[in-house]
Amino acid sequence: MTKLIQTIVDGLGVGSTYALLALGISLIFGVMHLVNFAHGELITVGAYASYFFFLHGGSWWWMPFVIIGSAVLASVATELVAFRWVRNASPFTLLLTSFALERLSHALWQIFVSPKQRAFPKPAWVFNQFKVAGVSFEVMDVVTIAVTAATLALTAVVFKRTLFGISVRGAAEDFDAARLMGVRANRVISGAFAFAGLLAGVAACLILMRSPAAEPSMGSDWLLKAVIAAVIGGLGSFTGAVVGGLVLGLLETITRAYLPELAVGWDKFSTAVVFVLIAVFFVIRPDGVFKVSHAERV
Amino acid sequence: MSGVNAGLLRLTRSTLASAALVAIVAALAMAYTSGGGASRDSLIAEMLSNFILVLGMQVFIGNTGVLSFGHMAFAQIAAYATAVVGIPLAAKAKALPDIPFGLDSVHYGPLGATVFAIVVTIIIGGIFGIAVSRASGLAPTMITLAALFVVEQLVKNWKELTRGAGGLSGIPRLEGNGWLWVGAFIALVVAHLFQETRIGRFAIATREDELAAPALGIRLFSARWAAWVVSMGLIALGGSLRAQSLGSVNPKQFTLDSGILILVMLVVGGMRCVSGAVLGTVLITAGNELFRQLGDPQRLDIERFPDLFLGGTMLLVMLLRPGGLLGDRDLAGWLRRRTYRRPPPTGEEPRAGSNTLVAAEIEVHFGGFVALDGAGVTVRPGEVVGLIGPNGAGKTTLFNVITGIVLEQGGRVTLGDRELTDAKPVDIARAGLARTFQNLRLFKNLSVRENVALTELVAARHRSHRVRPDADTLLADAGLTEWADRQAGTLDYGNQRRLELARAAALAPDFLLLDEPTSGMSDQESQAMVESVRSVATRVGAGVLVIDHDLGFITRISDHIVVLNEGRILAEGTPAAVRANPLVAEAYLGSSA
Repeated sequence: MTKLIQTIVDGLGVGSTYALLALGISLIFGVMHLVNFAHGELITVGAYASYFFFLHGGSWWWMPFVIIGSAVLASVATELVAFRWVRNASPFTLLLTSFALERLSHALWQIFVSPKQRAFPKPAWVFNQFKVAGVSFEVMDVVTIAVTAATLALTAVVFKRTLFGISVRGAAEDFDAARLMGVRANRVISGAFAFAGLLAGVAACLILMRSPAAEPSMGSDWLLKAVIAAVIGGLGSFTGAVVGGLVLGLLETITRAYLPELAVGWDKFSTAVVFVLIAVFFVIRPDGVFKVSHAERV
Repeated sequence: MSGVNAGLLRLTRSTLASAALVAIVAALAMAYTSGGGASRDSLIAEMLSNFILVLGMQVFIGNTGVLSFGHMAFAQIAAYATAVVGIPLAAKAKALPDIPFGLDSVHYGPLGATVFAIVVTIIIGGIFGIAVSRASGLAPTMITLAALFVVEQLVKNWKELTRGAGGLSGIPRLEGNGWLWVGAFIALVVAHLFQETRIGRFAIATREDELAAPALGIRLFSARWAAWVVSMGLIALGGSLRAQSLGSVNPKQFTLDSGILILVMLVVGGMRCVSGAVLGTVLITAGNELFRQLGDPQRLDIERFPDLFLGGTMLLVMLLRPGGLLGDRDLAGWLRRRTYRRPPPTGEEPRAGSNTLVAAEIEVHFGGFVALDGAGVTVRPGEVVGLIGPNGAGKTTLFNVITGIVLEQGGRVTLGDRELTDAKPVDIARAGLARTFQNLRLFKNLSVRENVALTELVAARHRSHRVRPDADTLLADAGLTEWADRQAGTLDYGNQRRLELARAAALAPDFLLLDEPTSGMSDQESQAMVESVRSVATRVGAGVLVIDHDLGFITRISDHIVVLNEGRILAEGTPAAVRANPLVAEAYLGSSA
């Protein structure tokens, strides 16, 4: 029982980070049909920003602002320098453009900082443990889940209540119609990138508190999982992104924890099992859990 | 007889184009290696195996437009398959003492090992490809990504078979680059030929428009799967030859990053054509090497410059020439135009089909909104029926129900005695209903003639009982003769509409379904459209069901008019009767009271 609870908490912890990233990817896909492979680089940007902040004597109290601020700026910048110019291109071209940015980001960190990992200290309390009903938790588990819940609540309010959020949802449904209703394309798209940057920034904070180190290719692994989570949920669906992220996180930790008990000697294949399950899922439900029907006219 | 000739012509063209490309690359390679040094030879070896891998990706990604990250997984399977049967028995017993499947006593020479690798990869990949080809949207890409990780982990951990992360060495090495050149030439011929085969051209059609292709009788699954299997064959050839050229194999050669490198080669040159794949391979292999030498080997950051080169090149190409450097300027395509021969005209007189199209009592709801509430339409052979009604009356929905794009909740669709109610778009098209689209869904990157010729390929197989005029005759009827060799996407709006009409007619259908053929046209153009529709429909002996807002156009062209309003039939009859009907005026102009 203890193990099960522990596993679920771990899964929710990883899963909520996936969910925050997947939400950003889904949001951008909604407004411009771009699957943004450069989204993970926002984590890298946040990591290097906090590394430099530390070098100049910054403390963890200010860290979230630095990380989130730099991720937002970087996200808006990618739209300005690259995506704006291919906005009406095919999804294939858009995706490859984001891929190019991802490569460039790797190269630039390698050239201007170092290909090696740059570590900095973590907040002291992160791995402190406490017990509830005989099960021990880390402080970070609680922080992760609480911060994610708060961020998701904020996201829900923004997209349900504010003019910006409603414009974005309208644009995601039918951009041409939204434009006729007076929605300004540039502003909505920039805003969506800024918000996606914010979500990635929050995710980066959670990741960096656990393992405070900057590395050129650190964003890539997170990115792939986040893209998979977003597609599992149904690209363009906000609920889907959250569900996809949590499901993927739980699936990973549960497989890792229980596969060796089910099949002896299979522990080394746990990632393979997860990916086989993912592939099977996509064969059965190619459009994800929450299918988004775009107003595609024939 | 003419089939054999055409096949021979295709083979000759493909071989010629491939030989020319190999000759160009070989000349460059010789100029480069004459400067001496074994390292230069090994760079050429790397380029040649890249070549084969890029072409393998081109056959699937380039022709179907479905992005795959997983091709390297299958190159890896092929490389390991080569290793486990190619390594001499004694060495194998030492490296892999517990090898399963009785492979401990199997040993093949270079040719046997290559063939074994290709067969194994095609079998595993082919089964896997069923999943990839069935899915739509981004799911296939995700499935291939999953495949990459699964294979990577299997290779790293199934130590009895693969010896794990350290890899296998001792594969008998090929002498010189001769066999790699042969492999590259074979890959070129296969990639060229595939684009000229029926199924290859269908794959291209699905890339150009995922919705229009099935509506013209092209099955997405078979076209994609065929491309996948051929692509697996080439990828296996590339993986196997790379293993034999290096003499060793390990998981690091087949990571996601190495796959992306190959992908960049494909898209930078232009993925839609084989010549583009060749150009991309040469440019990126050379550029990558150049930027690698820029790094200071004393420092750890030796790899940093190639990433800069790859990212920068790809970004520039995507921003400036998203179709790749060559776009569609293919050497083989140029040859194809040069050798184009007009097929002899068929002498038969067209006759109208004998089937009547009936859609009756159709009901469709979208959530709470009732789009169709018992509407229907009947079109007799050779008849022209106009469908009009205010916006939201359900005209296009009725079209989509008849052609199988929207599923009805009630009612029936029949063509003669054939039940089409629950049929898929592709089967409905083959049964004899060809449609156009309100929002124009041409195969934009293909020539005007190819748009029509592609549909004729479907007609040849599935509509062989009907008179099938050749592409040029239909283009003449639609008034497009002078544009026949232009790219369809570059035509002006009116001509694009006319091309959709000719393309639909090329299916030799019983009925043409035209969705707003004059939308956005001037009065004069829509006058001319009446003539185009009539002559094209007469040419293939098809009846017509047409939606339009232009009342003048509809009354001129129709024998019979059906007026829809709020999902129901408001009125029907001859054009004169419908015009005189006060209900119609009311629905169109609002209450007359």
